[in-house]
Amino acid sequence: MSAPGNPPAQRTSATTDSEQQNGATKAAGITAGRYIGQRTPRKEDPRLLTGRGQFVDDISLPGMLHIAFARSPIARGAIVSINIEVARDVPGVHAIYTQEDLASFKVDMISFFLVSPDIKTTPLADGRVAYVGEPVAMVIADNRYIAEDAASLVEVEYAEEDPVVSIGDARTGPIVHPGTEDNIASQMGEEEIEEELAAALKSAPHLITHKVVHQRISQSPMETRGVVVTREGAQELTLYITCQSPHLVARWVSLALGLPQTAIRVIAKDVGGGFGLKNHPWKEETAVILAALLFDRPLKWIEDRYENLTASCQAREQEMVLQVAFDNDGRLLASHGDYSVNNGAFPQLSESNIAVHMFLWAAHKMPAYGFLTRGWYSNTPGYAAYRGPWGMETLIRETALDVAARRIGIDPIEIRRRNLLRLEDQPTESCMQVQLEDITPAECLDKLLANFDVAEFRTEQEAQRKEKRYLGLGIATYIEPTGGAGSIPTMTGELAQVRIEPTGKVTATMSTHSQGHGTATTMAQIFADRLGVSYEDVTVFEGDSSRGGFSPGAAGSRQGVIAGGAAIMAADLLAARVKQLAAHVMDVTPELITMDDGMLRVEGNAEKSRSLAEIANIAYGEPDRLPAGFESGLEAQYRYQPPPMTFSSAANACIVEVDAGTGFVKILRWISSEDCGTAINPSVVEGQISGGLAQAIGMVLMEKVGFDERGNPTAATYKDYHLPAISDIPDFEFLHASTPSQSVGGMRGVGEGGAIIGVPTLVNAIADALVPFGEVPVELPLTPTKLLSVIEGRDLGEKPAGEQPVIAASQPVRVEVTPAVITTDESTAARIDGDWNMALSTPMGAQEMTGHFETSGEALSGYLSSPEGQMAFTGTVTGNKLQFDLRVVKPMKITLKYNLEVNGDRIAGKCKMGIMGSMKVSGQRAP
Amino acid sequence: MKPAPFDYVAPTSVEEACAILAEAHGGATVLAGGQTLMPLLNLRMSQPFILVDISHIAELKGIMRIDGGARIGPMTRQCEVIESSALQQHLPVLVEAVRHVGHHQTRNLGTIGGSIALGEPAAELPAAAVALKATIEVRSIRGTRNIPAAEFYLGPYMTVLEEDELVTGIRFPDWSLNHIALFRELAQRPGDFALAGMVGAMSIESGKITRAGLAWFGMGPTPMRASAAEQKLLGCSLNDIDPQAIAEIAITDTAPFDDPQASADYRLTVGTRLFANTLRDAISIREAA
Repeated sequence: MSAPGNPPAQRTSATTDSEQQNGATKAAGITAGRYIGQRTPRKEDPRLLTGRGQFVDDISLPGMLHIAFARSPIARGAIVSINIEVARDVPGVHAIYTQEDLASFKVDMISFFLVSPDIKTTPLADGRVAYVGEPVAMVIADNRYIAEDAASLVEVEYAEEDPVVSIGDARTGPIVHPGTEDNIASQMGEEEIEEELAAALKSAPHLITHKVVHQRISQSPMETRGVVVTREGAQELTLYITCQSPHLVARWVSLALGLPQTAIRVIAKDVGGGFGLKNHPWKEETAVILAALLFDRPLKWIEDRYENLTASCQAREQEMVLQVAFDNDGRLLASHGDYSVNNGAFPQLSESNIAVHMFLWAAHKMPAYGFLTRGWYSNTPGYAAYRGPWGMETLIRETALDVAARRIGIDPIEIRRRNLLRLEDQPTESCMQVQLEDITPAECLDKLLANFDVAEFRTEQEAQRKEKRYLGLGIATYIEPTGGAGSIPTMTGELAQVRIEPTGKVTATMSTHSQGHGTATTMAQIFADRLGVSYEDVTVFEGDSSRGGFSPGAAGSRQGVIAGGAAIMAADLLAARVKQLAAHVMDVTPELITMDDGMLRVEGNAEKSRSLAEIANIAYGEPDRLPAGFESGLEAQYRYQPPPMTFSSAANACIVEVDAGTGFVKILRWISSEDCGTAINPSVVEGQISGGLAQAIGMVLMEKVGFDERGNPTAATYKDYHLPAISDIPDFEFLHASTPSQSVGGMRGVGEGGAIIGVPTLVNAIADALVPFGEVPVELPLTPTKLLSVIEGRDLGEKPAGEQPVIAASQPVRVEVTPAVITTDESTAARIDGDWNMALSTPMGAQEMTGHFETSGEALSGYLSSPEGQMAFTGTVTGNKLQFDLRVVKPMKITLKYNLEVNGDRIAGKCKMGIMGSMKVSGQRAP
Repeated sequence: MKPAPFDYVAPTSVEEACAILAEAHGGATVLAGGQTLMPLLNLRMSQPFILVDISHIAELKGIMRIDGGARIGPMTRQCEVIESSALQQHLPVLVEAVRHVGHHQTRNLGTIGGSIALGEPAAELPAAAVALKATIEVRSIRGTRNIPAAEFYLGPYMTVLEEDELVTGIRFPDWSLNHIALFRELAQRPGDFALAGMVGAMSIESGKITRAGLAWFGMGPTPMRASAAEQKLLGCSLNDIDPQAIAEIAITDTAPFDDPQASADYRLTVGTRLFANTLRDAISIREAA
């Protein structure tokens, strides 16, 4: 059967390219060039495709020893004893370390945001184990074979306890981390839906309650984690580590280990994929670094695939219930989301994904939204990022819109058009106070539909259904915050340093880092364009913390936007210097000079032309010929600080056929219509989108990290953890809209979008195909067994999400009930007045502060002081309850409403932070 | 993922290999193409004292015409079966089954004997051997045994092979030249083990089925011979066959289980359909011819 719909939109056609160039022409401060906007061949490819890449395992140093870990076989329990004597006697073993040996180092296992962990996190297990695969001991040996032999001989006796595996277990089960009150790793929002919102939901003509269960995902980079550590000389620590930014790793190691950053050099020339797993070192890498310091020999640890699938941090595993109210025309009235994410035992960040709620309805005309968002500890590997970590917002919204469209009886495209913001509706602010100026999901959808005949598809779908063939069309739109800079300490601008060598060739060092992103190509395109040299004459260096300057590298779809801007600005500074010098040498004004093909030409005066090399030679070697005050050499650098956020938009369509006899899904067609502003290189853009869409297909159809009830992983190899193969991936068709952004160059980030929008696009297509049989519960992955259960109308053995009890937002969390004790024989002042040490739990970690209270009858006054400053307030006292408001302006204008309760020497309660919901406050009387 | 220490021997004759196996008293594991064993060694799920590499034994390689059938040496690479014009002509089902084993790359090293001897219940080759009524020839210093494939498998990765025995040949009897070949599997991705699959052959003389061999894979702890369906088919003429009814009989000879890829119920439901469709399609092609 041929793919339904009209002929495929032309891939990589002249049309899209010329539109791309038009887009670039309109972009702020950028003109279409010989290279920007072109499908320039990637500089990295000849090296990578001929096996000449340099990955961590390619590094071999003189005297280097190898490490293997002995890992916990149980998910939860106390370590009774560790016996390393037999293992230590294995010939070729040099040392065996446990946490006791590493304890002399004070290690602070900080998060990506550089915040200390909420729960004690050590490189090796410290007295207890909290997940299967947790490293307990490390063996240093002549080679990996011997190290693994010895690791298997480390004898550990455990007192096993019942584990907490799922989010459901975490809600009701035992406490994962002794000493904590519950298994909530992070919480924001309201435990009960606010009255006004509840009323709006209840009174709406249509209320959809939609549940999504997202499975746990292994990031599965082709290159697993790994590190080679060596001490060079007395001071410098050199790390070869597969990571997402050498600069961030250097900063992380400096802070976590308390070492001066100048003594650390991090090198990561090539990286075989990061996808969020490699933002910064975690337990094993840190243990190897410490071991290298202790043992003072170069050490290597390469994570094997078994370790990667079972003991690395993992991602997703979320459950969400979304209520959405519509009027009779399908217009949005109100919504509420209850979200949970499994944080595992030692998450890289105690996370409840506030971004899910920030962006859920940002692109839509949604009057009111409330939420409860929680992260839960469990006895499983820790939570880490995965391409588009907040992607649940797009998944649940787009699938809920389709459910609503079917329920209300509106076309799924129409329900989106009625609710999406269009360019003419902007600037505006979402109900979650997200500022929107130039998002274009509606326009991307227009463009998509102009290239795809939906009516024709529906006719064919109808005809095929009569033949018992089930075709489905899925549509989704999304926006994505990209190029973030300035809101979080690690999310900074990017640095470009560029020089024209005395040879006339261009060399740049960038703060960027590529895990397949092609930054050495795209940045070179920009330099070649702006400096008028051939692309072949530009070399970009990155991947080494001793080069360039700080940036978090590839995280949050940011490098094209920010580093692209930096490259433009640095190149323009340098071009101005070249022209100034050339004008002096040629005795003309700089404005008359053009730079092209490595030549400097003067308008209407051909004989005055000079090559760039000639001018460069003068700049470096003939100081007498420089203009007065002109610094010798041709070098420039620029650190670009972009607008805080740049939005990308997209609309996707996908057509599938579901085999009603087997529940198998075949993807027949997939069209991506995205707006990433200026596309520096459309092939690189399409590569990013394709990779993300492939991961989306894996998430929808087959990938799953599973555990048995004892917390044992059920997929330990790629035989059981199914990644999509090339045969599962269709030829994607691309449409580019190219609305320039406000950032220099007009780029918008495109790194994560495919992995976000692809998931609901495919889910919606499958659900549309199976409409004759009923709704498809969105419990990923949608295996053949689950789909056949829908088709047959009976449970074939995997329980669909819809049959599980829906966790209502108002259901109380596990609370230790302590009766409020109000002592009457004590005066209010005696109970409350004075200083209190308090902590506010925020997504950025606990914020410590001191509260000073003074009471006078029912009147309260005082101040809160923290390292950021001191803020006074007035409020009220009722019994032992305190109530006061604080108005802050940073990071946003917001009123903080405190409701605290004093019980003896303890104080606890909530701080309501406007749209951000409530956060927990706890503390005790200052001594 | 590095194997535990082991001794490595590479005998050049079957006698030598059998002597090593006998001497090892169960501590030896035979290495053929290594496409399953090497990962198991690396995962330390298999930790033999001695690895007996049989790839240097010439007499274990090759495809031979013998009286009444074909004899395939266990060290014959899977790709060689696909390329064999004799097998394409006489045993097209076997060739089709091997095409579905693993991937192009693994079939270059993977062997017929390795797959047969391993006994993965979802693999194509053990089921093909059962359906096609192959005989597995095994040798030890104690002598030679010829074991019908249908009696060879005991459970997942468990066979009647004793610890000192080596598979030395697999004999596939001829089926009549006009036999009907049956093969179909359902796998999530090409090269995956099947969620459900069936393989078989039917000989026809004077319009009646005179011989039938049918087996399932991925449908129980071993390759599952569909004996009841075989019996039912004997003596039928093609246009008498009700494929759905035969499939419903055949499914009674299965015992599938749940795994993360599919539930037992799924396998039963889809297996019945797959069986009926395969039979239906094969009959209609034959009748059209």
